[in-house]
Amino acid sequence: MANRILLSGNEAIAEGALEAGAHFAAAYPGTPSTEILETLSRRGGIRAEWAPNEKVAYETAYGASLGGARALVAMKHVVVNVAADPLFSSSYAGVNGGLVLVSADDPAMHSSQNEQDNRQLARAAKIPVIEPSDSQEAKDFTRIAFEISERFDTPVMLRVTTRICHSMSPVAVTRGTTWPMARIPDYSRNFHKHVLLPANARPRHDFVESRMVELEEYAASNRDLNRIEWGDRTVGVVTGGVAYQYLREVLPGASVLKLGMPWPLPRALVRELAAGVDELYVVEELDPFIETEVRALGVQVLGKEIFPLTGELNPDVVARGFELSGNGTATEPGDVRQKNAAPAAIPPRPPVLCAGCGHRGVFFTLSKMGLIVTGDIGCYTLGALHPLESMDACLCMGASIGMAHGMEAALRAAGDERRVVGVIGDSTFMHSGITGLINTVYNGGSSTVLVLDNGTTAMTGHQDHPGTGVTATGERGQQVDIEAVCRAVGVRRVRDVDPYDIAALEAALNEELDTPEPSVIICRAACRLVDRTPIAPSVRLEIECPGCGTCFELGCPAIDDRDGVAVIDAAACCGCGLCVQVCPFCGLRIEGHEPAGVP
Amino acid sequence: MSGTRDLNRGLERDGARVRNLVLAGVGGHGVLALSRVIAEGALAAGFDVRKSEIHGMSQRGGSVLSEVRYGSSVNSPLIPDGAADLLISLELLEALRHLHRLKTDGILLVNEQRITPAPAGSGPVLYPEDVLDRILDPFPEARILPAHDMATELGESRAANMVMLGAFAACTEDIPIHGWEEVIESAFRSDLVPVNLAAFRAGLSLASAW
Repeated sequence: MANRILLSGNEAIAEGALEAGAHFAAAYPGTPSTEILETLSRRGGIRAEWAPNEKVAYETAYGASLGGARALVAMKHVVVNVAADPLFSSSYAGVNGGLVLVSADDPAMHSSQNEQDNRQLARAAKIPVIEPSDSQEAKDFTRIAFEISERFDTPVMLRVTTRICHSMSPVAVTRGTTWPMARIPDYSRNFHKHVLLPANARPRHDFVESRMVELEEYAASNRDLNRIEWGDRTVGVVTGGVAYQYLREVLPGASVLKLGMPWPLPRALVRELAAGVDELYVVEELDPFIETEVRALGVQVLGKEIFPLTGELNPDVVARGFELSGNGTATEPGDVRQKNAAPAAIPPRPPVLCAGCGHRGVFFTLSKMGLIVTGDIGCYTLGALHPLESMDACLCMGASIGMAHGMEAALRAAGDERRVVGVIGDSTFMHSGITGLINTVYNGGSSTVLVLDNGTTAMTGHQDHPGTGVTATGERGQQVDIEAVCRAVGVRRVRDVDPYDIAALEAALNEELDTPEPSVIICRAACRLVDRTPIAPSVRLEIECPGCGTCFELGCPAIDDRDGVAVIDAAACCGCGLCVQVCPFCGLRIEGHEPAGVP
Repeated sequence: MSGTRDLNRGLERDGARVRNLVLAGVGGHGVLALSRVIAEGALAAGFDVRKSEIHGMSQRGGSVLSEVRYGSSVNSPLIPDGAADLLISLELLEALRHLHRLKTDGILLVNEQRITPAPAGSGPVLYPEDVLDRILDPFPEARILPAHDMATELGESRAANMVMLGAFAACTEDIPIHGWEEVIESAFRSDLVPVNLAAFRAGLSLASAW
């Protein structure tokens, strides 16, 4: 029985994979892609796994494809780079069961460190790109992507953006049906196709190039994916993804080539639209990907001259672009007076480390000690912000450990004695920290690495990982022990330090930084959003606060700065005791605990 | 603003086919739950719906924003500036932050609560003393409700979002009251349904008396 329900783009992709009879799915959490695998593991009927990183996720999905299953692998845009090695080569080797890679791009960088446009990666890998413009298409196109994958013997990129992933719209679904697993030929050895020795890979490259020609013919003929919607002939627009929805909002009457499969570009359709309209435009987010291809056809077109290269589009931005072009037909909805009433002098409201977060004391100590800190990707990146301000660099998943080693080498070579520590979370350590640590050990480095173990992948919404030992479907598997891993790769100095004990942390850091060999300090404290039980009774102010402001340096949301005087929010305080340790007047107390008092 | 039909009248006047709602608050306010209930209510009433949100760090005290659009046919999940028929904010400063999203004759419902933001620059954050003036000056008919206090009195401060929903429900006849109640019944864990329904009704009866 089919009915219409509200689904996010991510939920719809999961639904599409189930309807396509996919049997295997793998991912590592990353905004805005995370809910795809979460939905699949909740729905069941498919083997859904968190992988330690995206390279492994892609490789397991590829193996599942070879083994005869339809397989889906989902990740955010920046970490398709991590999976790029198997991705590019699997383009040559081709698939058995359909293989769909979901790349969830993040224009405007709502939760990312860059806004790379992964259509470019797909072009470089020579695989087709499918791009839905709402949740219904996200479901339908996922299914089509599996069919394309098998028909053309290629991995397929399903490229979505934050506004597709995290927007909800009605989707026709059939519930109460178990979708049959797709019927794929049984695995049989194919040396020339699947073993990419140079002698095999050369003819496969020829195959890939001829595959692109066939895919373009398909892209020009599949009207579910790519179609011209004829309207007013003065303006023609090539667009796709969520940009199509913005365009329809501001130019409802225009003639539009809607691209649900922008790569390989169906050039025949572009020529047909261009020939039928007075002026041609390309409306696309980020890079001039389609535009460059249209120009290569010798077709005159307006694109990035009037639409921004950076950030997200929205109806306002698209309408303004058409205004710039002098095309008066665009209707910009909304009151002009209100549009111009830009809010002035409104304090921002950034996210903060939670009250009682185990990361706070660590960053307070690092800041106090004036260390150089190479950071990593996670909640703890918030330690870079005011007032903790204790991070020198944050680049990508796992980079902290390698950066610490390289920086230390450069500083020592220059006779600079400043000390460097790498800071990484538990899930990120499993993702790509271990190889960095092996490098430090092997190359005779001596950097100190802090592993902030909160027992979850917190930033993306608390997913499990190898260090928790719980699988994506909630089963208890084998837990991978961080300390054992560190010792196994040759780190002799590994110790646990309570991240709520500032004095102990400072002593441990001083000792390890002064020892000329690699060391790891593991700071364990459960994420406060997972374990909400109070650590101790909430802190009380015992004296009239003289307003020295020391405790404000912790940036704790449970301490309110009221005209320079500290006020403790007892409901928010969970008794971590950091403020008790830093208060020089011993004016803050926890019942049953002696004040520590840092002079 | 008076009576319960203002949202309908506003739409008749400009001939718009789509209702544009902007929902704002702070992490923990249940802005996303509120937008989910509104979107589900609109879908059940037979509308096409688009709902958008940015929720990357919503649990960590940052600003949270969601947009809901419904009508016979909707394209964009995002609402242009100055085009929202209604802005619901669970916090005063967040209302101010998103005021430019409203039409000049848009409806503004604000929970009377001040939450000081975490410091982002040097020195303490000064919560704008004149926040109410800056809201009421351009929107003198804005409704400032004690939704947080009302929900707290009902025993669950987190149900302030449903008080706001009740106030919204009084402003439109697009979705019948029983339609909202059915969505609330299915949207929350069974033990939380009674308090959320009570909060909804409290908001509804408060706004119906305006």
